[in-house]
This record gives sequence, structure tokens and C-alpha cells, in this order.
Amino acid sequence: MTEYTPAVYGTGVKATIQRVGGHLAGMIMPNIGAFIAWGLITALFIPTGWLPNEDFAKLVDPIIKALLPVLIGYTGGRMVHGQRGAVVGAVATMGVVVGADIPMFLGAMIIGPLAAFVIKLVDGFVQQRTRAGFEMLVDNFTAGIAGAGMALLGMWGIGPIVRVVTDAAGEAVEWLIGNSLLPLASVLIEPAKVLFLNNAINHGVLGPLGVAEAVKHGKSILFMLESNPGPGLGLLLAYLFFGPRSLRPSTPAAMIIHFLGGIHEIYFPYVLMKPRLILAVIAGGAAGAFTFLITGAGLVATPSPGSIFVYLAVTPKGGWFGVLAGVVIATAASFAVAAVLLGFGRKSGDDETPADETPESQPAPQEA
Amino acid sequence: MADIETTDIRKIVVACDAGMGSSVMLASQLRKQLKGLGIEVQHTPVNSIPADADVVVCHKGLADRARKTAPDTVLIPITIFIGDPAVTRLVTTIKNGGTVHG
Repeated sequence: MTEYTPAVYGTGVKATIQRVGGHLAGMIMPNIGAFIAWGLITALFIPTGWLPNEDFAKLVDPIIKALLPVLIGYTGGRMVHGQRGAVVGAVATMGVVVGADIPMFLGAMIIGPLAAFVIKLVDGFVQQRTRAGFEMLVDNFTAGIAGAGMALLGMWGIGPIVRVVTDAAGEAVEWLIGNSLLPLASVLIEPAKVLFLNNAINHGVLGPLGVAEAVKHGKSILFMLESNPGPGLGLLLAYLFFGPRSLRPSTPAAMIIHFLGGIHEIYFPYVLMKPRLILAVIAGGAAGAFTFLITGAGLVATPSPGSIFVYLAVTPKGGWFGVLAGVVIATAASFAVAAVLLGFGRKSGDDETPADETPESQPAPQEA
Repeated sequence: MADIETTDIRKIVVACDAGMGSSVMLASQLRKQLKGLGIEVQHTPVNSIPADADVVVCHKGLADRARKTAPDTVLIPITIFIGDPAVTRLVTTIKNGGTVHG
């Protein structure tokens, strides 16, 4: 496998960044089902939705502003200190939730684990000093007191700070959108993505910012920057036609898993084994983002997994054109650049020159 | 580098970043291939590989993190998610008996 092994691979710094990012994504991803539920309710029942319904639409606000942050804080707490950490984390998250009128995802990602860490320290201190028979009393009250205290801290201390940070980040994003600079984000996003920072970027950074925007404007383009399945599909299509012979048979299955199943990890190895192809997915990502930008496309919630089905499910009414256009154009751009970089089969790394025959006959509807 | 006899393998853990996507897919493939051999195949996030894992399978890009969470466990790094030679070798070794080298 020498040919497929990139030279420098896996430094300590990268693993550390991955680990921190993994913790951020780890607070969000177990709760994606709740996000989808909210996305469906929103897309259906808000006044501009498919089936406007005033009563059902009352669910929208409490879920996004209270339930989802509390779930994040709960999960973050559980990662630090099990069930007790989860409970204290959830209580503490209510502090940042009540103190703010925006969805406090970032706040929850900070205070949930922090509160759990506090009760972990308290437990370590108190448990050896507790007399037999008083464990339950002490455990319940330490958790209650720590939770209450952290909720107050969240409301007065952490909430306002996170608010300022979120507002500043939101303004920076709007400036990027206003100046049509958002496609440049692909230059950072795509390489980070194939280094397995995909979840960290999408769920740790873009998701929380996107939710703030979606609540304000009903949709957000930020959900689509990392999760667009187009660039990966274009790359796999290029591999199908012009890649090394040995890899061609596996690409149709990879395409299905990637584009329909939404597991993007499946295409990362195809980039990592020929690193210059990163240019292809960057081009695809940027072309897609640009298309989303000029068509005013957006999604109501994080599409996770990044499957075309999820994309269509969380597209607001009337938004399918821009969304599909962005995915198709991203696919085409990525395919075109990857095809050139693979030399249309001549630089594929094979010993024999494949020119005349193409063994696979997988239909390729997306290449424009 | 740890080694393990195939007869000692009780639990194989497939790890990925979130423990929800690629690892689930690979784990279900492995489970099918190892059916009837009494080996449990589990999928987890790479940050929380359980201590009773005998063999860990994960992508090379995550191998550093897997080594940190499970330093003494046999680690099989893979390159691609479908039809990776290292996975095929693992399955063949388990079926024929022998030693798995981490």
C-alpha cells in the first residue's frame, strides 16, 4: 500500500485538534434525531411552511431555544462525569438558555461540560469524607447545589459573554455573505474535512452559528458549507472513470454510501491517497457555496448525515431549486477538476494505460 | 506493537470520529463476515474505545487517537472503507487461526 500512503500523516497536533473537535461534535451528534424532529416541524408548520398550523408551530421556539441546548449540555456533562455530570450539565444549561433570546448552542457546549467538571471535583472531595449511610443525601444535595450555582453563573456570567461572541461571529459571517466571500471558506473547510475534522467543523462551528441565523431568517447557508455531498460525489465519479483500475470497482458502492447514505468519510481515503485531489473538492465546495449564495439557498437545520435525502427534507418550501443547483454544480466542478488532475485516466497511477475501455457502466446523472 | 492469538479474540471494536457513521457501516460488514464465530463486533467513537476490546479497527487518520485511548490493544489501521486489504487479512486470519499483528 506504499503508493496510497501519504508521506506525513498523523502528527500529535492533528490528533489533539481532532480530539477537541471530536468532543464538540460528540455533544451534538447523539442528539441529531432531535434536530431533525425540529427541522421537520419547522419546515412543515411555520406560516411559510408546507402545512401552516398555528398550534403545531408553537413547538418550534421551545425546542430550539430550550430543548436542544439542554440536550447538548446534558450530553456534554455525561461525557465528563457520567449520569451525575449529565444532570448537573443540563441544569446549568438552563442558566444560559433563560438568559438569552438566541439558541445557546455554544453556551451549552461550554457550561455543560464545565458544570460536570465542577461536580466531578466536588464528588472527589466529598465522597471520601461522607459517613456511611449519608451517601444518598450528600450526593443529591451536592448535585443540586452545584447545578443551581452553575445555572446562576450561566445566566449572569457565561450567557452574556457567549452572546457577544455569537453576535460577533454572526456579524463576521454576514459580512462574508454580503461580500460574496463565503466560497473562500471552502479553502479551509475541505482540507480540514478529509483530515477527519468534518464533524468538528460542521457540528462544532458551523451548526451553532447556522442555528442562530436560521432562527432569525428562517434558513441558513452555513449548514451547507461542510455537508454538501456534491464535491465528494464529483470526486468519486472522477475516480470511477479516470482513477486507478484497482479502485474503480469499489467507487459505485462508495457513491451510494456517500451521496444517499450521507457517510462522507467514505470518500476521504480517495483524497488522502492522491493529495493533489484536494483541489478538486475545494473547487467543488467553492462552486457549490457560490451557487447557494447567488440563489439565496439555505436549510432550516443541520443536514446530518449529509445525504441528499436529508438535504431535501430540511429545505424550506420553495428552496429546492437553489439547493439542488448548488449540489449539482459542486458535483460538476469537483468532477471536472478531479478528471483533469487524474489526467483523464493517463495519470491515474496505473502501469497500463487505460484509454479505450471503461468496465463500469454505472449511470452518472450528476455530471452536468 | 501488540499481538494477539485469534483464539483469544472475543471483541472487535470498530472506531470512527463520532461512532455513528463509517464505523457502524464497517462493523456491520465485519459482523456478517465473522458470523457464528462467537466474536462480538462493536462500534464506538474513537475517544471512548472500551477497555475490553481485543482488536481495534479504525482509519489511519484516526490511529493516533485510537492509540491514545487504547494503547495496549491490537490496532488495525485501514486505508479505505470498502474492501480494505487489512480488514480482509484480519478476517482470513481469524477464520484460519493464527496471530493478528497490531
